[in-house]
Amino acid sequence: MREGMIHMTSWTEAIFNSSLPYRFAHMALASFITGGFVVAGVSAYYLLKGRHPNTSKKALKMCVLLLAVTTPLQLVVGDLHGLNSFENQPMKVAAMEGHWETKQGAPLILFAIPDAANETNHFEIGIPYLGSLILTHSMDGEVPGLLEVPREDRPPVGPVFWSFRIMVGLGILFIGLSLLSAYLLWRGRLYESPKVLRALSWMIPMPFVAVLAGWFVTEIGRQPWIIHGLLRASEGVTPSLSGGMALSTLIGYVAVYAVVFAAGLHYLRIVIGKGPVDTGEQAGLDPVARPKRPWSAISHDEPQPQQ
Amino acid sequence: MELIDLTLVWVGIIGLGVFMYVLMDGFDLGVGILFPFAPNDDARDEMMNSVAPVWDGNETWLILGGAGLLAAFPLIYAVFLPALYIGVFLLLAGLIFRGIAFEFRFKAKAARHWWDRSFFIGSTLASFAQGAVVGAYIQGFNVVNFQYVGGPFDWLTPFTVMTGLGVVTGYALLGVTWTILKTEGTTQAWAYRLAPWLLLGVFAFFVIVSIWTPLASERAAQRWFDKIDWIWAFPAATVATGYWIHTQLKKRAEALPFVGSLVLFALFYIGLLITQWPLAVPPDHTFWDAASDSGSQLFLLIGVLFLIPIILTYTAWTYWVFRGKVKAGAGYAGH
Repeated sequence: MREGMIHMTSWTEAIFNSSLPYRFAHMALASFITGGFVVAGVSAYYLLKGRHPNTSKKALKMCVLLLAVTTPLQLVVGDLHGLNSFENQPMKVAAMEGHWETKQGAPLILFAIPDAANETNHFEIGIPYLGSLILTHSMDGEVPGLLEVPREDRPPVGPVFWSFRIMVGLGILFIGLSLLSAYLLWRGRLYESPKVLRALSWMIPMPFVAVLAGWFVTEIGRQPWIIHGLLRASEGVTPSLSGGMALSTLIGYVAVYAVVFAAGLHYLRIVIGKGPVDTGEQAGLDPVARPKRPWSAISHDEPQPQQ
Repeated sequence: MELIDLTLVWVGIIGLGVFMYVLMDGFDLGVGILFPFAPNDDARDEMMNSVAPVWDGNETWLILGGAGLLAAFPLIYAVFLPALYIGVFLLLAGLIFRGIAFEFRFKAKAARHWWDRSFFIGSTLASFAQGAVVGAYIQGFNVVNFQYVGGPFDWLTPFTVMTGLGVVTGYALLGVTWTILKTEGTTQAWAYRLAPWLLLGVFAFFVIVSIWTPLASERAAQRWFDKIDWIWAFPAATVATGYWIHTQLKKRAEALPFVGSLVLFALFYIGLLITQWPLAVPPDHTFWDAASDSGSQLFLLIGVLFLIPIILTYTAWTYWVFRGKVKAGAGYAGH
């Protein structure tokens, strides 16, 4: 702080902060898992339809092996990341876990409806001591609750609590399905198990949901701070920015991305519907089709746009 | 820290970034602006293919400039972005729509004309917004206590509309001379016909801006009409370059009209800097007022010194790989 303005004291400390390795690993693994489930899901879909069996088996095998390693690893990394947040942003973790009161031997709450107005949970179902065990690695470790800080310094509990449960729930589902698929692959039965293949093909959108839920947890959980403990988000708003302006560009961006994603999904669907070309053909791909348009690799059975 | 003026170094870096951006994204935006006027669909394919390998690399410079401003000149960032909030949104929306047109146009069949339109409107909108930013920079900002206090549409005035249209015309000139360089046959003949008119349009805007700016801004008038004699070398060079481009177009030269247009833009850029120097956020704040502290500047400088040679190398490499003429459906003749 100098002359009422916040200045950076150290760039290296800001960039190489203590949560960087966990965040980086957590996000990188999430990307691998997302990619893995998309390719596995499309391959499983082709196998169910009896299309492109050779390519699909190879792709599915690679993805299942990748997922069998990355999904359990994500659990470990996620736990380490949580421990790091527990140290640096205890209120975020308290909101994730739905802990109101500071407790020794805190339970792990599986289900609850957090009530911010009355500072309590309804319909709470938890496993005693497990919360403390996970966060402090000790049965009766102390876990601070949201009541430690005044109301205005707490993040919104409901969205953080629920997003966290969606993310972790999906994560456990991913681990289960990946390990089951890997087991079937090892026994040589994966390609002939329509139920598992169907489950894999249904799984395509799920990693995206999990990633978004994760961002909800970390970004809503960091509120009300824009710089933790120093500057509130409400103090960081541009003075000349009116609510109407912010709303108009928000609507604008939502509209732009709605068009982009709708068109993108439409063309992806066409691409997946067409299926891959044989590698032999790909070698003879005309160079102009390649540079910025990987998708043009797939359009060889239709007339070239130029003609 | 006293040995080198880091702020000046950063003015140079950002200046280079903006300049590279204007030149390079300028011609591919220009291709988009000309898109609906192309003689036929084959010509549109050729035009799009001629910029497809390079356009997103060109936009790297916009990111370098934006991120550099945030870190090295936080005041510029903190005033320009709120002041141009709606304009920057239009700029980004335009860039998004023209960007996805590259991907989707070649996938679409029935909806192809929509992506043609998306490419044209996006390119034009983005170019116009950039021109309006330049106009707003000349015009100045309502700043009190290092914060922008003006309204959301202060940037949209007759003057900035005019600079916006001027940049659209200028980019179209870059685009048409690029098309001359990269195509043959019908497409090239069309570009040769169009180029002199765009050149004329650019000079019309040059004359209007040159008269309007000193009339609207006392600061600009003082800069240009006070005692400095050599300053007039730049407008003289601009006129000479314009004439030279015209003769090259008449001679049906292929590369030189494009080179000439790049030189023309360089001269406009120098003219703008002469008018504005040393103001970063007119009318009151210089680059030195706007700079972040030297620790931040030095830290980022180290990163940038590695980055710029890498960007320049891969950019040069891409242009080398995709040199030569582009043909409908056949890719690059030189490849």
